[in-house]
Amino acid sequence: MRTIDDFTTPVEYLTPLDRYLKRMARDWAETAVIPHRRSFDEDWESHNLIEPAFDKLMGEMGFQRFFFPEEFGGFGMGHSGYAGVGGFRVCEEVSRADSGMGVAFAVLHWPLLMICKKPHVNRRLCEEFAPMFCNTTKAVFAANAMTEPQGGSDIENLDLLKGATIQTTAILDGDEWVINGHKLWPTNSGGVSKLFGVVCTTKAGSSDPNDFAFIFVPANTYGCTQGKPYQKAGMASDKNGDIWFENVRVPVWYRAHGPGEDFKYFKEMVSWGNMLSVAFCTGAMLNAYELLSDFCTRTSFRGKPLKENDDIAGVLADVARDIEVTRIVGYQAARMLDRPDLYGDSWSDEIVTKCRAYKYFACDKAIEVLENAMNIMGPHGSDRVEDIEKHWRDVKIIQLWLGGKQLGQMEVARWYYDCKTL
Amino acid sequence: MKYQELFPIPIEWILDADRSMAQTVSSWAEQEVKSKRLEHKEDYDVLLLPAMRKLFVEIGLQALVLPEDIGGGGMNSPDVAMTATVLLEQVGAADPGIGFLFANTLALQYALAVASEADESLLNETAPSFCGEQVTLCSLVVPGYGFETRKHPTYYGLDFPARASMANGGWVVSGGPARPQCCGATAGLFGVVCDIGNGEPGILLVPGQVKGLARGERFKKTGLTASINADLKFNDVELPERALIARGSEAVRSVLSWYYMACAAVCAGALQSSHEILREWGDTRVIKGKGQVFKENPLVASLMGEIGGKTGTARLLTYNLARMLSRPIIYGSAGSGSLHVQAMSTLKQVCHLSMEALHGTMELMASAGYATEWNLERYWRDVKTLQTYATPETVAQTCMARQYFNLQKL
Repeated sequence: MRTIDDFTTPVEYLTPLDRYLKRMARDWAETAVIPHRRSFDEDWESHNLIEPAFDKLMGEMGFQRFFFPEEFGGFGMGHSGYAGVGGFRVCEEVSRADSGMGVAFAVLHWPLLMICKKPHVNRRLCEEFAPMFCNTTKAVFAANAMTEPQGGSDIENLDLLKGATIQTTAILDGDEWVINGHKLWPTNSGGVSKLFGVVCTTKAGSSDPNDFAFIFVPANTYGCTQGKPYQKAGMASDKNGDIWFENVRVPVWYRAHGPGEDFKYFKEMVSWGNMLSVAFCTGAMLNAYELLSDFCTRTSFRGKPLKENDDIAGVLADVARDIEVTRIVGYQAARMLDRPDLYGDSWSDEIVTKCRAYKYFACDKAIEVLENAMNIMGPHGSDRVEDIEKHWRDVKIIQLWLGGKQLGQMEVARWYYDCKTL
Repeated sequence: MKYQELFPIPIEWILDADRSMAQTVSSWAEQEVKSKRLEHKEDYDVLLLPAMRKLFVEIGLQALVLPEDIGGGGMNSPDVAMTATVLLEQVGAADPGIGFLFANTLALQYALAVASEADESLLNETAPSFCGEQVTLCSLVVPGYGFETRKHPTYYGLDFPARASMANGGWVVSGGPARPQCCGATAGLFGVVCDIGNGEPGILLVPGQVKGLARGERFKKTGLTASINADLKFNDVELPERALIARGSEAVRSVLSWYYMACAAVCAGALQSSHEILREWGDTRVIKGKGQVFKENPLVASLMGEIGGKTGTARLLTYNLARMLSRPIIYGSAGSGSLHVQAMSTLKQVCHLSMEALHGTMELMASAGYATEWNLERYWRDVKTLQTYATPETVAQTCMARQYFNLQKL
């Protein structure tokens, strides 16, 4: 009997810890999430069911310490050459159970990447924020506060706009930043985050990368308020809402790196977001394979198991092929981010572009796989009991975020075809 | 520009009376569903019930196809295909779930009141359910995948939901669990496609309260909130002989042809609403920080062009099918192999086009498309659910291949 472990993994890329990471995350998924996930949609606002599962993964098992240096209580993955493939593996296993949880889990690390990842570790900020994540057995979330109501994906459109549309401002007042602005829809907003990485500008309207700032704001800082989460088509495990910053004051050293550097490493963050988006997709696709395989074995058509019909088998083959190919792409992206010595800096236009391409390819394939699975299963495909439909609803948002497919297409065209005006 | 001008269909097929009724239903859609979607988004189930009552009872859609002399709307001829399509498009634009319920009612009433097999006494018996004051929901129960591989007669490879045999001058129906198309938990009447002997298909009208009919637990699904579904079991359900409302392959196929047409019209309605939503978004959104109106960006425009093309094609295909079913004198019986497959193929294409258009719309609207607040995601979930119910992909492909390429064994 084949299992998801029969899909190819590029074994020479993997972290020495891979089998442990995989085992831990999979055991957690099997016990803490998969038996309960059908009820998650009704839990979108309160997270009464979802929170304990996060506590176990992030707090008790400690995965929220993944990036922090070991001397501050972390796993030290930010210093390793395996953060990409290790992160991919864990996010894939989490997303196999619930890609909303995969997203929320990954995004907690997103702002931390700015300060925990070599070669740009900010030790002072690591020391400042590590206790929040490392000295607890409860899940602690962080979020990137990027998107603004007026601009949509403009902020992620770094190549073209270079931050010129950012309306959240950071003004230096003595030894403090004073932040004002409104962010919309960040993952892990809606009241769950303890820490925000806020994308802002030190000079409104400027397209000078030196004016792009990434500043940390603890969620309980005076003047920082969060709205309720939005109700969505799916992805109940990830809360999205509004965040308002009204004369929020933080110490000057809460800025991640400084003029020019924030912009550069923010681009790296985009690369990581896209790479991990592939993992969210492959996780959901792997579970779709399991669910589809089970369904097509226990149901019959023309007097034999569904999977033994040539026409059904043809579609099943396409599903397996797409998972194989997408997974290889994802691991390749992760490897490229782990080995800048071979592939170039993660913040380079080339790597940002390639990760974009991989992400929107993976999203297209994930949607295709899940649509095919639902279509084969007929009325059972849209039945919540079979779990496929949940993946279908959840995965769609992965395609839409980080600027969506159209922004991805523009960046890819710009780099590969040397377009000048897009 | 009006929707008809944007996405034209041959207007000579539509009567003034159809337009007038469509206007009534369109007003219902605005007042009872669309205008309340946001304030009621947390309580959509409760919102739907009074809206359904207004539509089905007060406006009278559930009696539309029944003869006038028994209290119906008197549209018991094939002409009603076009009228129903016009109305279903409006209902689908408001809520595809309610549209899907109406599609099931229409298909079942087609067998009762339009097709030649209709039994007058059965019609009189069922009329009060539809012409009275209560909402009577209907559902087809069609062949589906089996959960065992033992040999028994199948409907082109699919398992019959039940078998019916004659005993003491009536039918005894047994089988299940079977998944109805809709409303398994709440329907008052089911049209069950049964093996009535040696694999011969027939549709039996099964009242929801009949002894021996067991309803399973309600289950949740991706969309179509108006349909509260549950699996059924038929434990030696006894029915009178006249409960057989369609006998043989052609009769069953004709009911399904009408059902496919109705489902396609619901999808066309969903596209009408998604077009409205995207249009507003495209007109008001500004991107690239340069004051560029969203729709004026060439890449956005190219995708919008695709979406518009798919919307127009889906609509045209739907009305074309309705025209063919409304004119058996020109195109033949709705149960003929060619027309049945044309109906199936149309629904399959309309579902594909609709899903592609809805996916594209959601991509353009990004998070707003995904958030409940903007109303688009409801149509995306609803049409997908309808697609999985009405046209299991591979089954439809085989049916089409059987007709188009004269298959002998499948």
